[in-house]
Amino acid sequence: MNAKSDAATERIALLEALRNDQKTWNVLAPRYGVTNPNPPWKTSLIAMCDCLAASGALPVLERRQAEDELSNSIYSNVPAPERQLLALVHIMLKRGLVTESELVSRISAVRARLESA
Amino acid sequence: MSNAHSHGDGSEHPAAPMVEEITDFEVLEIAVRELAIEHGLFTADDHRRFTEWAESIGPAAGSRLVAKAWTDPAFKARVLEDAVAACKEIGIDWAEPTGFGTPSDYMNLRVLEDTPTLHHVIVCTLCSCYPRPLLGMSPEWYRTTNYRRRLVRWPRQVLAEFGLILPPEVEVRVEDSNQKCRFMVLPMRPAGTENWTEEQLAEIVTRDCMIGVALPRPGRTADIHPVQKARRPVKRTSHPPETAHERKK
Repeated sequence: MNAKSDAATERIALLEALRNDQKTWNVLAPRYGVTNPNPPWKTSLIAMCDCLAASGALPVLERRQAEDELSNSIYSNVPAPERQLLALVHIMLKRGLVTESELVSRISAVRARLESA
Repeated sequence: MSNAHSHGDGSEHPAAPMVEEITDFEVLEIAVRELAIEHGLFTADDHRRFTEWAESIGPAAGSRLVAKAWTDPAFKARVLEDAVAACKEIGIDWAEPTGFGTPSDYMNLRVLEDTPTLHHVIVCTLCSCYPRPLLGMSPEWYRTTNYRRRLVRWPRQVLAEFGLILPPEVEVRVEDSNQKCRFMVLPMRPAGTENWTEEQLAEIVTRDCMIGVALPRPGRTADIHPVQKARRPVKRTSHPPETAHERKK
């Protein structure tokens, strides 16, 4: 398997639909007058990467190499940490750790939950 | 929603601003995490533990270590001899949060001491290895292929882009982190800091000083990068040749 070409060239429809230049933290934070340089979910994302590595589901080096490839190709215009998030999910989908269909369903459920408050 | 935030003592002030919308990125992070936990890729408890640890780390620990090393020669000797053990003396345990560290932070740290004729700077050409227990999360520029590729080829040029121009008589040594070892720079204590307390000294030991892309000096307490670094490597012909000892060690 040519992991590099797979990871670097194949776009994922779900993630393409989710990326939005106007909703990244570097755009939203100044719009709302927020000075925190990172979105509240960034630490959780880092912890998720650590957990995946600790369990052996996604070793650090493999994730970082794939992240580098994606950061220089499909997601090159996405700022951090959104780029890191998209790359992680991209890698997890490509490896079958989660499926696109279940992720679509879960995204709807999570959004409904968050907006219900 | 009220914009006021009241305290128990009756005082009131405007609430801190917050991003008042739910983005797809926020939803995506939660969704994929929940699925990963349901699939047994990791547990919710593991995630909480790593999150709390990630929230607890930052460059202040490294600053304290350097300041103590500057004022306590015996401690400095221990830092250079066994840095992981010396870290425990300032409350940093590399075995956290699992008892054997994290998968990204190998419990092997070497502290590189700068001298009047030798300057160190660290990089990870392979990925983004970084001494997280001491310095916290790596800055985004440290993770870029631009920094990682160019520093080992043209260290003086890259350092100049950070505003650090070293005289030619100072050797520049680039230390490449790897899967087995982490590095941190112990910069020289600057002139004008005689009789300073450890707390005062720690304030000028910023993250960039411990990476090696800046030097501590009185009055400099924050990392501000004066030059926007190029997104793409510059052509080889535009670089003066650097001597072999200045390339990656």
